[in-house]
Formats: sequence, C-alpha cells, structure tokens
Amino acid sequence: MSGRRIVITSGKGGVGKTTTTANLGAALAKRGHKVILVDTDIGLRNLDLVLGVEKRIVFDLVEVVEGRCQVRQALIRDKRFESLSLLPAAQTREKEAVSEEQMARVIDEVATLADYVLIDCPAGIEHGFRNALAGAREAIVVTTPEVSAIRDADRVVGKLTAAALPLRLIVNRVRPEMVKTGDMMSVEDVCEILQSELLGAVPDDEEVIDTTNRGEPIVLDESNRLAQIYDKIARRLAGEIVPFTNLGAPTLFGRLFTMWKAG
Amino acid sequence: MMRAFDSPAVDLDPMPEPALVRGRAIVITSGKGGVGKTTTTANVGAALAAAGKRVVLVDADVGLRNLDIVLGLESRVKHHVLDVLEEKVTLDEALVRDKRSDNLYLLAAAQTREKEDVVTEQMKALIERLRERFEYVLIDCPAGIEMGFKNAVAGAGHAIIVCTPEVSAVRDADRVVGLLPNTWRPELIINRLRPHLVKKGKMLSVDDVNGILRLPLLGVIADEPGVIVATNKGEPLALDPTSETGAAYRAIAAKLAGENVAAPTVRVPQDGFLAKLGSLFGGRA
Repeated sequence: MSGRRIVITSGKGGVGKTTTTANLGAALAKRGHKVILVDTDIGLRNLDLVLGVEKRIVFDLVEVVEGRCQVRQALIRDKRFESLSLLPAAQTREKEAVSEEQMARVIDEVATLADYVLIDCPAGIEHGFRNALAGAREAIVVTTPEVSAIRDADRVVGKLTAAALPLRLIVNRVRPEMVKTGDMMSVEDVCEILQSELLGAVPDDEEVIDTTNRGEPIVLDESNRLAQIYDKIARRLAGEIVPFTNLGAPTLFGRLFTMWKAG
Repeated sequence: MMRAFDSPAVDLDPMPEPALVRGRAIVITSGKGGVGKTTTTANVGAALAAAGKRVVLVDADVGLRNLDIVLGLESRVKHHVLDVLEEKVTLDEALVRDKRSDNLYLLAAAQTREKEDVVTEQMKALIERLRERFEYVLIDCPAGIEMGFKNAVAGAGHAIIVCTPEVSAVRDADRVVGLLPNTWRPELIINRLRPHLVKKGKMLSVDDVNGILRLPLLGVIADEPGVIVATNKGEPLALDPTSETGAAYRAIAAKLAGENVAAPTVRVPQDGFLAKLGSLFGGRA
C-alpha cells in the first residue's frame, strides 16, 4: 500500500491548518479510509491537543527520524475513529532537528501504512515549511477571506507551484453576512485572486473554538453543519463529484483587490 | 558591513531629530500565528503616535509581510529592511511615513526574500540605530520560533505576548515566554475574547489564560468583525474615536508608556435581566 501524501499549508498562521487537518482526517476515517496525520510543527505542536490525545504521546517524529523508535510505535491511534492515527511532533526540539531528506523518508514509510497521509504544516515559509513539503505529493492551501491571509497564501501557492505540487484551496471562516454587506471577500473572489481550484469552503463557526479546546473534532457530531461540510470535502478529496453550496457573486471588494494586486 | 551604521549619513537625516534618550525596542510575539500580532503592532503603534510619541514599526516577517497592508501603506513601500541591511538604500529612504501621522513610520519586510537572509547581528544593529531616533521601536514578529523569531527578538529589550483564549495559543505562548531572555518580564495582551462564549463556559476566561501564563496584563481586546473590516481597509481601529476596541488599544498604549491607567478589559455578562437583555442585542460575534 502507498497512500496519498497531502500537505496542509497556508503561509499565514491561525487560519485553521490544524483544525482542517484534524477534521478532514476524521471525516476520511469515518468513510473507512485509513488515515495518518503527521504534525510537522516541531516545537509548537498542537494537532495532539485538537485531537485530544496529548496525554498519550510516547514517541514523536524526531525520535522516529533519529531511529530511536519505529513509526508504528510512535503512532497514536484515535479511540473514536479506528482507522485514524497521529504521528506527533516533538515539542522541545527545533525544526532544524529534521532535514528535508529525513522527512521525505519518514513520510514514504508512513504512506505504506495508510490510504491518506495528511501533513500538518507549520506557519511561515521557513525550514519547517520546507520539511512539511518534502514528502508530499499534493497540497491543500487553507486561507481565510482576509487580505493578509490571501497575500500569504499567494506566496505559498507560488512556492508549491515551483515545487510542482498540485494544489486545491479550502477557504475557511467565511462569514456570509459580511460577504453580503461587502465587508468580506467571497469564496469566488479568493479563488479568482489565487487562480486556484476550490476544494471546499467552511463557514466561520464559534463552536469550533470550543470543540478544539476540548480536543473533540467537530465531525464527531454528525448533526453539525460543519461536520457535513468536512464530509463533503473528504468525498471531493477522494475523487467524488460533490456540488458546492452557493458561493455568492464576486464582490466589488474582490475586484478592487484583484486590480490592486495586478497593479 | 557594520561601518555603514556609523556613517555620517545618520547626521544628515531630515526626519525625526535624534532622541536624547534611546527609545524602547519592543517585540510583539506569540508563537502561534493568526492571533493578532500584526493588528496589535499597528494599533498600539498608531495609538502611541496619536499620543505624540515618535514611533517606528518594523515588520520582521520577511517573505510574508502584512504590516504594510494593515496600515494601508502597501503602495508606498519602495524599500525594505534587507535593502537597508545590504546597504542598497539608506534608512531614510526605506522608512515609510504613515498617511495619518507624522510621528509614525514603517520599515517594511522584504517580500521576495527568505528569513535566513537576515543576519541576526545586523538586525540588532539596525534596531539600535532606530532607537536613537524613535521613542518606540515596535517589532512585528513572524509566527513560529524559527530564524525569523530569533531575528525579531534579537534587537528588542522587551516583549508583548499576544494570545487568544484558546488552548493551542496558550500552549504556544507559554513556549515562547520560555524562549525569551529570562531577565525579561513580558506583558500580555489577550486578544479576541468573546464574552458570551466565556460566560457559557465555551471559551477560556482571562483568569484561565493568565492562570497558566502568569504575565502582567496589558489589556484584553474583544473579538469583533470591525477588526477584519479595519484590517482590510488599512485603517487601524485605534484611530477611530467611536470604536470601543480603538479605546482599548489607546489604553494599552498609555499603559505601555507608563501612564497609570487600568488595563482595558472586556466585561463578561452576568446572569440577570440586564444581561439577558444585552444578549438580545449582542448578537453573534
């Protein structure tokens, strides 16, 4: 078996990379796929918290790289989703503790154990970013409809394209009421500016703050609208054709931004 | 390389008179990204400038700069920190004066370069030079704790930690405090608090956050969509006299400047008739 290796990245921090990784991973696992999540944010790990497995960490990514344990020993199986596991990052080490070649080798090995390997990338475009890309074959760029997040995403899209990684977008934390009043760019605007294909759009929902703090991915609650959205994204990722919900017309704001960016 | 910093060009500066006392260099940092470092830098800087202080904001996020956008100065940026460090332009040529305030300047980050291109010692020397001319040098730190973080912290003498009431942000902030020099006493801004969520027990409270971090509190800022709008427009809320959040930033600036003011806070509604009435009008953040 050699699973798909997908890096989840954004440039800007705090746009929802880790939350997306956890929920998309859980949604794929619920559909019966075997999924391994890899936290590459060495020194500032958080995927373990979002999954609620922080107390069960024994070994980490750096220890795997250094040959102090097997991949299988470091994997933490999620108790709620049988086919979901996490390879946690080290917390007290530096990103430079792992090289790109070492990371690529670990991801290769992890991919023999799963259908999907989702690689949670750190913020920024430094060493940690290059590491996270090293073993990936495709990418998901997470962004929010904010000027600063889009500018950073644009920079990352450029780097992914240079690395020949195919990518799709998840536009996160959309507030339809603000899009309506012209105070926020629409999902269509964002795709237009970044010239990238859409994988999914996720509305802003304060429930996420609470579920993240409690370490319970929102997809656990099937009645939740976000759970249904993550499920749709998971199906799209798996190759199904799933229609998008209405994204709204391009706003004047988006057009202005496009002009500004071009000029 | 270092000789340029002592060059006589400094004496010919047409802009701010050299201060008699060196200014304070303060890094705004968080560990986690997206918690509001850049917004905080812009607003505290604008508030300090509006109070008559001479302020320069330094964007240390090489490759992913955004402070220029938040200030609405993106089309005025011609040169950046690396141009100055590499002696391609003088400091004066690289400083961008704010549209609204003669006291406020921006030194932009390079957008098409890497953080590893900055030499820590040079960055330190640059901040020293800025301290001679400005009362406040606010350094907007990139997310993470890699090279960009180290460069941003290098020239500073004080830190403001920005943290949101979320477990992951608190964990990252705690880690960053541990990486700062142990002689520092960083001050804390808790950002994006949603009082109705705190009340429902669905968000960490100020006490929850600071029970872990235990830092002197500079202030609490509420989560409000106005911040997104202001950021998109490039108009810091600190300059809006009608905005409550703007007032909070002004209070934070005053407190930072040593004035005897209380740290601005966000009131969490109590149960009762008035609170219920309030929640009817409060709506969703």
